[in-house]
Amino acid sequence: MKLLVTGSTGFLGQAVVREALRLGHTVRAAVRPATDIERAWPGGHARLEIARIDLRRKQGLADACRDVDAVIHLAAVKMGDFYDQMVGTVVATENLLAAMDEAGCRRMVLCSTFSVYDYMRPRSGTVVDEDFPLEPDPDARDEYAKTKLLQEQMVRDHAEQTGMALTVIRPGVIYGADNLLNGWTGQQLGEKRWVRIGANAKVPLTYVEHCAEAHVLAAVKDEAVGRTYNIVDHDPPSQRRYIKLLQSRFVPRPRVFLINWTLARTVARSGWLFNKLFLGGRAKVPSILVPCRLHARAKPYRYNTPRATDELGWSMRWSLEEAVDRSLQVEQGELVLGLPAGETLAVNTGESAKATDHAEAATA
Amino acid sequence: MKTAVIGTGVICEQHLIGLQRVDDARLVGVCDLSPAMASYTADRFGADATYTDYQRMLDEAKPDVVHVLTPPPTHLRLVTDCLDAGAHVFVEKPAAPTYGELEQLIDASNRTGRALVEDHNYRFNTTVQQIEKLVEEGELGTVGEVEVRMVLDIRGEGGRFADRHLRHPSHDMPAGVIHEFITHLCYLALMFVPRDTPRDFDRVSALWSNHGGGDHFRYDDLDATAIVGKTHLRIRSSCHTGPDCFVLTVRGSEGYAETDLFQPFVRVVKPRKGGKQLSPLVNQFANGMTMVNASVRNFRDKIMQRSAYEGLHALVERVYEALREGRPMPVSFDDMDSTSRLVDALVAGQETA
Repeated sequence: MKLLVTGSTGFLGQAVVREALRLGHTVRAAVRPATDIERAWPGGHARLEIARIDLRRKQGLADACRDVDAVIHLAAVKMGDFYDQMVGTVVATENLLAAMDEAGCRRMVLCSTFSVYDYMRPRSGTVVDEDFPLEPDPDARDEYAKTKLLQEQMVRDHAEQTGMALTVIRPGVIYGADNLLNGWTGQQLGEKRWVRIGANAKVPLTYVEHCAEAHVLAAVKDEAVGRTYNIVDHDPPSQRRYIKLLQSRFVPRPRVFLINWTLARTVARSGWLFNKLFLGGRAKVPSILVPCRLHARAKPYRYNTPRATDELGWSMRWSLEEAVDRSLQVEQGELVLGLPAGETLAVNTGESAKATDHAEAATA
Repeated sequence: MKTAVIGTGVICEQHLIGLQRVDDARLVGVCDLSPAMASYTADRFGADATYTDYQRMLDEAKPDVVHVLTPPPTHLRLVTDCLDAGAHVFVEKPAAPTYGELEQLIDASNRTGRALVEDHNYRFNTTVQQIEKLVEEGELGTVGEVEVRMVLDIRGEGGRFADRHLRHPSHDMPAGVIHEFITHLCYLALMFVPRDTPRDFDRVSALWSNHGGGDHFRYDDLDATAIVGKTHLRIRSSCHTGPDCFVLTVRGSEGYAETDLFQPFVRVVKPRKGGKQLSPLVNQFANGMTMVNASVRNFRDKIMQRSAYEGLHALVERVYEALREGRPMPVSFDDMDSTSRLVDALVAGQETA
């Protein structure tokens, strides 16, 4: 199959490109105009094409979507203010959908997120599966959750209206090299100090290479059309277990400061009540003091993803310990996750004999 | 009054927050090339309908007022069409990229009998109004110098202007990215020039620099002086000094006043009771108290999400009040005309360094 991958030079995108090539597919990687592709894929690959486009504008998008069997849409903006994320995530997707229509491309795998779920109302201990309720009050959440909710709904509406074959992937917390800590697992307070909220909640981790495989499988399996898949590695660890594992691998061993979950949610609840009662709900406070944002990061739920395993044939190649070690090896330069070997690579330009730069081709 | 907006970017949100204070305004249409942006804005602010074609919106929604909030090169066509359709227009700054285009817009406003107002929002910020009052009451004497200094990290990684993947439209304006802010700098400087002084800009010096180098930015620094009558205007835009600030200093024959719109306060040094001997001490004590109060107020405003756009919200209210009561617009054609001519003079008088 020929797959267009947006967000292809990102953390997950690079893994998806590698995985698609490993599974024998041809990849057209959507790359923004000023991106140095040599850094992402040194030497390129015979089955890797580059399409230089920016999804925030329509120019060149239809050409990039032409003659591909499916689009794996990973591109999204996580930084900046609401409007940066709105344009980079929602408007970008709107432009992509229009371009797919124009090019006659009828298949999309959308990378959504666990951030679209409602963590406030369902009780602790509930299983978060694909039918878990979505956030009913996006304005209370952060910009990322708001824009991803808008994006997912827009793509679903489009699929319904046009008959586009859609699969929605909702990954849990994706981890890997340079992304071992985050809001769910713990935050760094400088190099030697970490802070963690809660201890026993399971963290819905998915190793980046596992998550990448799920996206590629979803693009090629007919059974995946019209389906939504949560992606969480089997037997997700508790916060305590994960942080202890990381501590054991770091020299010097970081100190971890624990904020008790019950205390954290009580403080957040009190802050929220004060804001609502005395400040009209207008006060802007840190996320840790906003209950729905705090719950989204630390409330103890259970995770079970048999649907992806059963329907996609998705499985984990590495255990948690192996994946963490692999990530640290990459961070320390001891392991290079390159493109699969065995095919002639072009030198330096990132363009193989078959590769074309679509922006340039279109201009010419 | 039936209101509509064209363009739903960052500034649209602030216009519509201001509009929420206008009791008799009803948002009948939101227009954007992106249906998703139009739809989000319409949902958030309770608009009657969304459009991707502004002509269709003018025909169907028949708004009394249209806020044109798109990039400046689109203003001539959009504003003229809105005026011709019988709507008053509130247009974002700069109303036009050049003075020539502004003249066409003013002609269209006069021809159609519909109001046209350019967003000079910072004039209506509380601290600027306080300084204006000090000047009007003669507390500072005759104004001899006005300095406006804006420091913004426009070259910062991840910022809109530094995005090398998608070039911000303002890079193609005559003054590059600085054109995005220069209207603010000029109208703030001009508002303190004594009213009886002719707005002639034949003594202008403008040094434009690209200290950061490269071809993405045309300029990232402006150091300009304009002498209007006997008033010296100093206009500075920098991205290589820090932290971000937007400082206005008005110096008169008797004293001076200063504010920073990004962390507002009003510091006033003027003759105080106690005569020449005690005035320095009284000024220090009074300004010390001012800064203490400002720190508490600014902390509260930060928590309560009050931003430097408070002036825009106030201006929106005043525009609708003026329209309702048939009074002159809070930003006059003379204000718009002199501001645009000063911008053109700075651009034309540019010496690059």
